[in-house]
Amino acid sequence: MKRVLSVFLGILTAIGGFVDIGDLVANALVGSRFGLSLAWATIIGVAGICVFAEMSGRVAAVTSRGTFDLIRERLGPRVGLLNLAASLLVTLLTFTAEVGGVALALELATSVNYLLFVPVVGLAVWLVIWRVRFSTLENVFGLLGLALIVFGVALWQLNPSWGDLLHQIAVPRKPADESLTTYFYYAIALFGAAMTPYEVFFFSSGGVEEHWKPKDIGTARANVFIGFPMGGLLSLAIAGCAALVLLPAGIQVDTLGQVGLPVAVALGKLALAFAILGFVAATFGAALETGLSTGYATAQYFGWQWGKYVRPRQAARFHALVLLAVIAAVAGVLTTADPIKVTEYSIVFSAVALPLTYFPILVVANDPVYMGRHVNGRLANGLGTVFLVVIVIAAVTAIPLMLITAAGQ
Amino acid sequence: MTEEPFDLRLRLLDRQVVDRDGGLICKVDDVEFDRGPDGSWHVVALLSGPQALGPRLPGRLGRWVMAVGRRLSLHPDVAPRRIPFERVTEIGSAVTVDRARDRLDVAVLEDWVREHVIDPIPGSRHESE
Repeated sequence: MKRVLSVFLGILTAIGGFVDIGDLVANALVGSRFGLSLAWATIIGVAGICVFAEMSGRVAAVTSRGTFDLIRERLGPRVGLLNLAASLLVTLLTFTAEVGGVALALELATSVNYLLFVPVVGLAVWLVIWRVRFSTLENVFGLLGLALIVFGVALWQLNPSWGDLLHQIAVPRKPADESLTTYFYYAIALFGAAMTPYEVFFFSSGGVEEHWKPKDIGTARANVFIGFPMGGLLSLAIAGCAALVLLPAGIQVDTLGQVGLPVAVALGKLALAFAILGFVAATFGAALETGLSTGYATAQYFGWQWGKYVRPRQAARFHALVLLAVIAAVAGVLTTADPIKVTEYSIVFSAVALPLTYFPILVVANDPVYMGRHVNGRLANGLGTVFLVVIVIAAVTAIPLMLITAAGQ
Repeated sequence: MTEEPFDLRLRLLDRQVVDRDGGLICKVDDVEFDRGPDGSWHVVALLSGPQALGPRLPGRLGRWVMAVGRRLSLHPDVAPRRIPFERVTEIGSAVTVDRARDRLDVAVLEDWVREHVIDPIPGSRHESE
């Protein structure tokens, strides 16, 4: 049982990355407009995050250093600070969106306006970060987030022509009524969502929280190679359901309720309740991931004590910063900015943060003085280099595509 | 000495400083050199805090970091926090020093935040559950 539970860090990290509030809607939106013709972008993104999360987890297991330690060491204080600023903006915007997302999911369940839930959600997120043991947090929210598997069941129940779906994935064809720039804008949005920088901050710091040692490299790898593909499958299932139900009906997704619609159509009320439970858990998990990541990244840049493995008073600046982030997020949602739109714009800051985050990981994982016999092999280096090129291309093209397509309108 | 030269910038600067129990103390924001009687230069201390980090950041940003550091500092002196190099026991992926964190007066802000922000909140002294 302990072995089974030990992969929930990877699952929770992946849920926070791929099926958080922005991506729940983005996946369904893409499915309803492009069918599965953009599945390749998610698949490439999942492969990319696996490669770099494996390296960051291995570094954490061998040296107990989180990812932002590596960024500061290898890029120095100046470029490191630029990355910190960009990463914090992405992470804080996403955190704000997730707090709003939990509230939106609760609105779906209760029909009470989401703004009323926001302060309660903020308090709950902070209490969990303040009091709950890290392993409990990852197990509970990782497990509950798996309620989203109901989208997989719905997909199966909708009884699609599987050969046709696979064909759509394997031989992608842009729908005739969408422009090429819009198509690639969404490809980059999906790829960027899978590779958001806070996933490696959270995953590597989580490894340190769990006291990973070199003997735990196997656990780290199991987390990566089970957790992240699981998150990817959930995100494909959501897109698939939207492609089967919403695309033919001509429904364009822009609310969380529409994301759950195919589940209600295929399986009925009880399954919809499950989907909403999944929404709450996934967005709450993503809120924990992003909230903690603001603290992890900043503390690792400045060298402060961080982490939930010590008492709060022993990591005073870390906890004070997380508390400030919670207050900022609650205030941000209460401005009534649309939480779903907020995550779309964070891709701008991702573009700066992505290369500056993954490059130092690749360099350190290659340093024999640092890593001893656990240094990167040829496969990890080859894949790491290829994905770094893809990341740079995505980073450079993200902002122009966003401007040309008016964020995919 | 036939040893490989030790690259201070790569192997010492910007590393995490930890105490002997693995507690995180600060970063090596800068190092202090001194010239021995034979004319050779030695590292005599690790420097940390805004007054050490600021000068390594570009222009206005660096001055701003130092000014914020001065404002938050409780002591009238504004020198960087200093850890004598004799305290260093190991240089690896982190720099280990031989003292417990609370015996090194390196993080005034941490102490202030602990006393005024974190300690008043119930549960600050408990392990997570």
